[in-house]
Amino acid sequence: MAKYLAKRIFYLILTLFIVITVTFFLMKLLPGTPLTNQAKLSKSQIALIYQQYGLDKPVWQQYLLYLAGAVKGNFGTSFQFSDQPVSYLLSSRIGPSLQIGLQAMIVGVIVGIIIGAFGAMKQNTWVDTTTTVVSILGISIPSFVLAVLLQYYLGLKLGWFPIAEWGGFIYTVLPTLALGATPLAESARFVRTEMVDVLSSDYIELAKAKGLSRMGVIYHHALRNSLIPLITIVGPLAVNIMTGSMVVENIFSIPGIGEQFVKSVLTNDYPTIMGLTIIYSFMLCVVLLITDILYGIVDPRIRLTGKAN
Amino acid sequence: MKINSAVKLGTVATFAAVLLAACGSSSSSSSEASKQTLNWMESSALPSMDSATATDVVSGETLNNTNEGLLRFGKNSKVHPGVAKSYTVSKDGKTYTFNLRKSNWSNGTKVTAKDFVYAWQRTVNPKTASQYAYMYAPVKNANAIMTSKKPVSSLGIKAEGNYKVVVTLTQATSYFPSLVASPMFFPQSKAVVDKYGKKFATNAKDNVYNGPFKLTYWTGTSDNWSMSKNTEYWNAKNVKLKKINFKTMKDPQTSLSQYQSGKLDATYLSGQQPKNYKNSKQYVERKGASTFYIELNQRKDSMMKNKKARQALSLAINRKQFVNKVLADGSTQTKGLVSTGLMSYKGKDFNTASYVPEATNHDLAKAKTLWKQALKETGRSSYNLTLMADDTPAGKNTLEFVQSQWSKLGNIKVTNQSLPFKTRLARSENGQFQAVVSGWGADYPDAISFLEMFTKTNSYNRGKWNNAEYNKDIAAADGKDANNQAARWNDLVDAQKTLMKDQGIIPLYQQGKSQLVKSNVKGVIYFPTGANWDFSKAYISK
Repeated sequence: MAKYLAKRIFYLILTLFIVITVTFFLMKLLPGTPLTNQAKLSKSQIALIYQQYGLDKPVWQQYLLYLAGAVKGNFGTSFQFSDQPVSYLLSSRIGPSLQIGLQAMIVGVIVGIIIGAFGAMKQNTWVDTTTTVVSILGISIPSFVLAVLLQYYLGLKLGWFPIAEWGGFIYTVLPTLALGATPLAESARFVRTEMVDVLSSDYIELAKAKGLSRMGVIYHHALRNSLIPLITIVGPLAVNIMTGSMVVENIFSIPGIGEQFVKSVLTNDYPTIMGLTIIYSFMLCVVLLITDILYGIVDPRIRLTGKAN
Repeated sequence: MKINSAVKLGTVATFAAVLLAACGSSSSSSSEASKQTLNWMESSALPSMDSATATDVVSGETLNNTNEGLLRFGKNSKVHPGVAKSYTVSKDGKTYTFNLRKSNWSNGTKVTAKDFVYAWQRTVNPKTASQYAYMYAPVKNANAIMTSKKPVSSLGIKAEGNYKVVVTLTQATSYFPSLVASPMFFPQSKAVVDKYGKKFATNAKDNVYNGPFKLTYWTGTSDNWSMSKNTEYWNAKNVKLKKINFKTMKDPQTSLSQYQSGKLDATYLSGQQPKNYKNSKQYVERKGASTFYIELNQRKDSMMKNKKARQALSLAINRKQFVNKVLADGSTQTKGLVSTGLMSYKGKDFNTASYVPEATNHDLAKAKTLWKQALKETGRSSYNLTLMADDTPAGKNTLEFVQSQWSKLGNIKVTNQSLPFKTRLARSENGQFQAVVSGWGADYPDAISFLEMFTKTNSYNRGKWNNAEYNKDIAAADGKDANNQAARWNDLVDAQKTLMKDQGIIPLYQQGKSQLVKSNVKGVIYFPTGANWDFSKAYISK
């Protein structure tokens, strides 16, 4: 296991390095300048300011300088937020994004499993139909539409939750619901299909015949086996939440990093683009690593050893 | 598992209920204390508080309320005394002597002439990489310092004692007092800048203020920030607001909901919102200092060089319909390049004085005739024209509307080209366009801020329109008449008239913002250039 982990971490670093390199050179192909007042500056004025930031150097030199800095933990200074180091900009804003993303993931997946399991157990009854409708709605309604609906009815009309802003758990409820809908629906759908399959298999019949309690059969035999395909979609779901959060954060005025990502690309804020790319790709790599490890825990057949492969 | 989640849900619900109850009670009991508190909406976060490097509107507006220059903008963009209680100008208009009052920074130390010298030198220093340093161009040696040809100390500003600032200009500049009232000319305390070093002005604490308010909350990257009354301010007794909370709302619908639920005292409107609230008593329109216009590439194209063709393209556009029915966001039709409300003389607005009806009044019949003549004169039977604009909602609206209007001319094929801002800008600069929708915002309340763009050598004259009379008028306004208000006014008025008569550009509209403001919010001063808002005289009425 340790050897496997080491190997995976090595690949993680390699992936990050490739992502950094590709992004850096692609980013430099963007037209325009990172200067916020570029429309009013003449070419010579821009050249003078570029000198101060070292942007007049050849791109490969800038790349090497960036790498050298990044290794030491210096990710440069943001242009949009002038004089703020990128590391501070991102660390001060990543908390809300992480909190909402994690909450949405946990609530969505857990509730999704429960709903899906219920649907499968009560197959072809009204319970099943309801859960199916809920999951289809959850998949087909985009998070930003749901966000606006939740905000209008639960926030403005009923006044149960704050409309927007950030300041304590209560503020996270609506964004979590809006973001959590997709993972909820996806996992409910997966778990239901799998479990219907598993419930009709021979070993379940055997377990029942041995006199195991209904809950025992469901929990120990049916559910566990139904979870394997669910783990496959956790990675894509995490990506879904990361991109969905950009819109949801805007709607609820959450001081996160979602908006920064879009804005930094639009404004050629090179250091921020790089910082965010590293963070997002790192998070994705880690999620994928975790799902691979989870596979082994849930399904002993694919437990990995260093020797395998 | 089921039981666990049921318990969790129950806990969450109880927790939520308790929190809700707490919120409810706190908001009702604090109404007394919050009387003189203003909750203001911003559409983007505050990026910088360093007056030497700040470039955006939000920073400008915040600085304008937390700090103060030698002079201060008031209603209708008129300048009033600030840290300087009075000033005198030498006969040749090249030397300004400012007499400073005794005033303090928020940390209790004195604001002196040296703080101005230090701040001005710091801004023009090429090492500071200020994107607004070009505003210093009228000050002696500023341009040479910015290009590292002269030492920073040679800048035309001197402190005589602690309370007198003498500024030397390269040539008389009649709008210099407006410059001095702008944030990039504000004082900075060397002791404070040195003390905080890299952290200076990157959060609320590591800074010092000499204006009506001081920042009390701002992490440097936060979406919300607050300022409260600065008791050290020289005119503090006339500042009524105790606290202003600024909240960034990126979604206009969210902002409107927050406004309706009482969390905000003002909100900007966008999209369909202005149409829906136009008749509300709380609806306010704010004229900006930006105008949008079409530049025609007159480098080679004989059709674009033809005055009749240019006139036809201008007269074919129904601007009234465009601003009222298409944009409908508080924007207004414009009579020229210069924004209305920017500059006036003897009670007359610049655009009224320089109005040329036959350049912008919609007249399709005349436009068609002119177009036919132009085609004939250039030996064409029809003309293909590509119009380029930004891919913003306003840019796309402009493209579609102008295309439909121009198509009515007959014998013309208009193609639209919608590009991202930076690409559009790069192509404009390189002259890679036939017609482009451009915009410009004035940095200071003077018509020259717009008009100097279209002189022969200016790099912003992207269509390369060239008119000797125009060049002469602008040169006179900047040169021999710089010190003579009446003559300079006439030069500028004549220049815009020439630009319009020769149809050097095709004006479209003046950008406006619309806003809902609670009716008990009084005394907020708006000005179209730079800093936009002054809250020093604002208050909440009963």
